[in-house]
Amino acid sequence: MPQFDPASFVSQLFWFGVVFTLLYFVVVRPTLPKVGKVIEARETQVAGDLDRAEAAKGAADALREQHEAAMKAAREAAQAAVAQARESAAKASEAQLKALNSRLEADADAAATTLAAARAAARASLEATVADLTSEAVAKLAGIAITPADVSAALAQN
Amino acid sequence: MANPMEQFKIETIAPISAGGFDLSFTNSSLWMLIALGCVAAFLFIGTARPQLVPGRMQAAVEYLYDFIRDMLRENVGKEGLRYAPLIFAVFIFVLACNLLGMVPFIGAFTPTSHIAVTFGLAAIVFILVVIVGFARHGLHFFSLFLPEGTPLFVAPLVAAIEFLSFLSRPFTLAIRLFANMTAGHVLMKVFGGFVVSLGAVNIGLGIIPLGVNVALTALELLIAVVQAYVFALLASIYLNDAVNLH
Repeated sequence: MPQFDPASFVSQLFWFGVVFTLLYFVVVRPTLPKVGKVIEARETQVAGDLDRAEAAKGAADALREQHEAAMKAAREAAQAAVAQARESAAKASEAQLKALNSRLEADADAAATTLAAARAAARASLEATVADLTSEAVAKLAGIAITPADVSAALAQN
Repeated sequence: MANPMEQFKIETIAPISAGGFDLSFTNSSLWMLIALGCVAAFLFIGTARPQLVPGRMQAAVEYLYDFIRDMLRENVGKEGLRYAPLIFAVFIFVLACNLLGMVPFIGAFTPTSHIAVTFGLAAIVFILVVIVGFARHGLHFFSLFLPEGTPLFVAPLVAAIEFLSFLSRPFTLAIRLFANMTAGHVLMKVFGGFVVSLGAVNIGLGIIPLGVNVALTALELLIAVVQAYVFALLASIYLNDAVNLH
């Protein structure tokens, strides 16, 4: 096996040393830390972006809560205004109705009074006419002369 | 049939020697350099203009880097992230060597199939663990070898076992990777040889080992990735010992 031939060991180790030294100091050291820095920068940037996003989300949430509270207050105010308006309208219409009722009642009372007076007047004139007619009819039919006053008295008696 | 070990032969491309040592540039060196080039292209393109919203290449680099960082975070904790570039370098080097060794037709060589290279990788992890351990805990780092609540009369035995297991880590780490890569490549070579020898007898017979080799290729690709992952995972688990003392 050539691997166990010590004649080549020194040469192999020497060239391995040369190549690995070049690899580490000339290739890896100047290049890899650049990538390491970029990876770290990316991590901080991503973390920062996430933080900013979280802060923005918090602000948005607060705004939404504010907005919701304002909406709620406005809705309540509107509801109160509607209720008040409804109440005052109801009160106004009730008052109007009452006034109308009392006026109608007064009108009805006045009408009833007029009607009663008219009825009394009619009755009075009817009685006079009945007395006249009766006295005339009695005179013509029975030949008895009675005055309308007598008839009236007799009617009043019954 | 071709010798299945031939693919692991170290072939000198440019002989170099310094101070009595043979430091020749070989096919292993060449493929390590190719792996370095691929990783460099991947990383330089991927991080050319890092942007908050990544492009395709940057996303690919980030994906792998995040993978290593998550592994360290899980096994070591936040402290472990400091070592992410080094563990990443180990991971991507193993991954690139393993995967490049799977490229057919171009005479690809797998440096990670050689114990010298995997031992070098394991030594980096081992030395890192020792340095971090002593730097963070001083001599208190030795308490790693005596788990809490050990009865006093078995303490010397437990300490000896723990110490040996600690010392064996670079070897197990090196041998695991080398053995996996070697075994996989040998297996593929053997079945490749079967395709020729059985196909020479009867073309229909050659189909069977060919099918097996297709399946083995998929398995070896999986192993190439999994072994890179296992290497980095064990490195971070060992690092956890050094950072947190169990």
